[in-house]
Amino acid sequence: PAASLSTPSSPDALPAAAASPRAPPARASRRVASPGPATARAAPMGRGGARDGAAAAPPWHSLPDEVLEHAFSFLPAAADRGAAAAVCHGWLGAERRSRRRLAVANCYAAAPRDAVDRFPSVRAAEVKGKPHFADFGLVPPAWGAEAAPWVAAAADGWPLLEELSFKRMVVTDECLEMIASSFRNFQVLRLVSCEGFSTAGLAAITEGCRNLRELDLQENYIEDCSSHWLSYFPESFTSLETLNFSCLEGEVNFAVLERLVSRCRNLKTLKLNNAIPLDKVASLLRKAPQLVELGTGKFSAEYHSDLFAKLEAAFAGCKSLRRLSGAWDAVPDYLPAFYCVCEGLTSLNLSYATVRGPELIKFISRCKNLQQLWVMDLIEDHGLAVVAGSCSKLQELRVFPSDPFGAGQVLLTERGLVDVSASCPMLESVLYFCGQMTNEALITIAKNRPNFTCFRLCILEPRTPDYVTRESLDAGFSAIVESCKGLRRLSVSGLLTDLVFKSIGANGNCLEMLSIAFAGNSDLGLHYILSGCKTLKKLEIRDCPFGNKPLLANAAKLETMRSLWMSSCSLTLGACRQLAEKMPRLTVEIMNDPGRTCPVESLPDDSPVETLYVYRTIAGPRSDTPDYVQIV
Amino acid sequence: MELELGLAPPNDAGSCGKRRSAEAFGVKKPTLPLFLRDDDDDGDHGNGEDDTGDARDCEISMGNKRKRLVGWPPVKSAHRPRSNSHVKVKMEGVPIGRKVDLSRHASYHQLHHTLRLMFPSTSHHGDPYAVTYEDVDGDWVLVGDVPWE
Repeated sequence: PAASLSTPSSPDALPAAAASPRAPPARASRRVASPGPATARAAPMGRGGARDGAAAAPPWHSLPDEVLEHAFSFLPAAADRGAAAAVCHGWLGAERRSRRRLAVANCYAAAPRDAVDRFPSVRAAEVKGKPHFADFGLVPPAWGAEAAPWVAAAADGWPLLEELSFKRMVVTDECLEMIASSFRNFQVLRLVSCEGFSTAGLAAITEGCRNLRELDLQENYIEDCSSHWLSYFPESFTSLETLNFSCLEGEVNFAVLERLVSRCRNLKTLKLNNAIPLDKVASLLRKAPQLVELGTGKFSAEYHSDLFAKLEAAFAGCKSLRRLSGAWDAVPDYLPAFYCVCEGLTSLNLSYATVRGPELIKFISRCKNLQQLWVMDLIEDHGLAVVAGSCSKLQELRVFPSDPFGAGQVLLTERGLVDVSASCPMLESVLYFCGQMTNEALITIAKNRPNFTCFRLCILEPRTPDYVTRESLDAGFSAIVESCKGLRRLSVSGLLTDLVFKSIGANGNCLEMLSIAFAGNSDLGLHYILSGCKTLKKLEIRDCPFGNKPLLANAAKLETMRSLWMSSCSLTLGACRQLAEKMPRLTVEIMNDPGRTCPVESLPDDSPVETLYVYRTIAGPRSDTPDYVQIV
Repeated sequence: MELELGLAPPNDAGSCGKRRSAEAFGVKKPTLPLFLRDDDDDGDHGNGEDDTGDARDCEISMGNKRKRLVGWPPVKSAHRPRSNSHVKVKMEGVPIGRKVDLSRHASYHQLHHTLRLMFPSTSHHGDPYAVTYEDVDGDWVLVGDVPWE
């Protein structure tokens, strides 16, 4: 989240008026014409400043708001602003009144109206909804996370809102219509993994948002109403910088798209969907050679030499291209058409691409400046060995399974990851799906790369042991947490006992997010985690033999965390009741068999709980639960 | 819930030696559970261990296909192999049909839930409908008999 909220808003100019008539003190302030600081006399909190100047340095609490707000504008991270706000009431007031960016990591942690009231000057807001495991189908439909209350509250209290971002939420066409009509200077709409809207809603945005700069649709489920949403951008509209409609399934009017791209000279990011054929991609590139990021859509065609030449020429003109993605079912013969951009690429996302073989590897090997590589396991170990040798600046690697439910043909082993970790000194983030692993490999990786901040390993078959020694992978993952002192995110897999959690609990001092599946042998495993991992924010667990005791013993810990998800573990209703009783500022949600309709109150304490989702909140229990969710 | 049927593996004209998965049938086990565990089970979810040799046999006999668990491996649907999985759904007595994207559902329960939302019924107890589909042979069959995948 820090990355998206990185740049501080430009500092407000300090009004000359709120000044002491006296000369400022000897210590010169370089920046803005700062009015004389307040005196040592206890000035009223908040506004107002010194009237009778004294030579002594002012106590912090009587600095005028403008000074405080200016100072806070240099704190880019929300956490730092939060810390500043906690110093005293004066700072709290100054900070909250001047905060421009708000990230609500759990839409149920606070009521929308309260958030808007508390931070009245927000220009950019990001709200996240469903739990992470919803991405994998573990949350049934109609769970909640509606964006509507947030849009309504924003429309009321943030008329100057410029940016809105929703992730894993239900966004309706009505929401989009309200956004289009409520914010005069709306500029950025980002929807990630959302659902509930259609192209009709998009039309409202394109028609109504005259100052739109970014329309970024990532992995949403969008109903195609065949409304020509792109055509609703007025002909006079030229401010677009980002257009991402890669997740849209339907057709778009190409002529309209081409005209749009031609007149938006600031367009930097263009991510097309699968409906745009290759030759049209070439045409668009000729109109927008200034592109920095391109998503090519389907990128598949029979080989034709004239199309090849067209593409090659088009890409040759794109001197600024740095990020490339697309669902390349590409005939490998086309890859050489854009060898010319390889040198400049910092990001390559081929995670939807089924292209494989030597052409793919040759292509990647030319990308000497690659920092981010997302690819399918079709690259195989030998492909990753080439990556290791070629991409010395690699920071992030993600390797996805091409055949997740398949016959277990092992395409990718631990070798690939060992090679990359050995040769890429800046590698700090890994997501790796593979068929087998050893402790030795993990220990080697840990030794090579103590700088990991994110390590997610998914061995496809649950509870797979070290394939050489047949032991658990405790030693390997322990090595990772012991070596990588800055690790913030960890996903473990394979055969694991409680011991690995002892290690994680003791060593995961920066760990913020932990994902566990099919691991551990007893309550101890969970206890180690909850009693350790000082900075843990999100914990998600499935199919582990963890029960009630560690949950209750560490109830207080849960309030220091954003959320806890436990499904298919060994929890019973009684413990959930106790937890809810003990911790009034947590919402304890249970999800059971959707077919069961009897109210939770009537069930005995020893009833098993299939899914528990607990999160801290200042808003009290939500009122929009579906029938299969019960708040205890 | 497991159904057990007496069934001889196909291509097995009495001899068990032919198939690659013969090792599974080395022990005489003519019965196979056909209904793999899905999220319906209120059984031991804590450790998805199969203590019945039957289930493992079934797993092996399905050509080494990994047993399908809900939400595992953790890949987003966008990253899964995509195919057009929309099916038309019509309800008797309702003139306008709907379309359901099967790939966005991970179980029969989720499908039933979606159908209940699409075709609301006044009855709140259990399953108000029979959900059927037309199979490859053109027969109308009740959904739920075969594993979701």
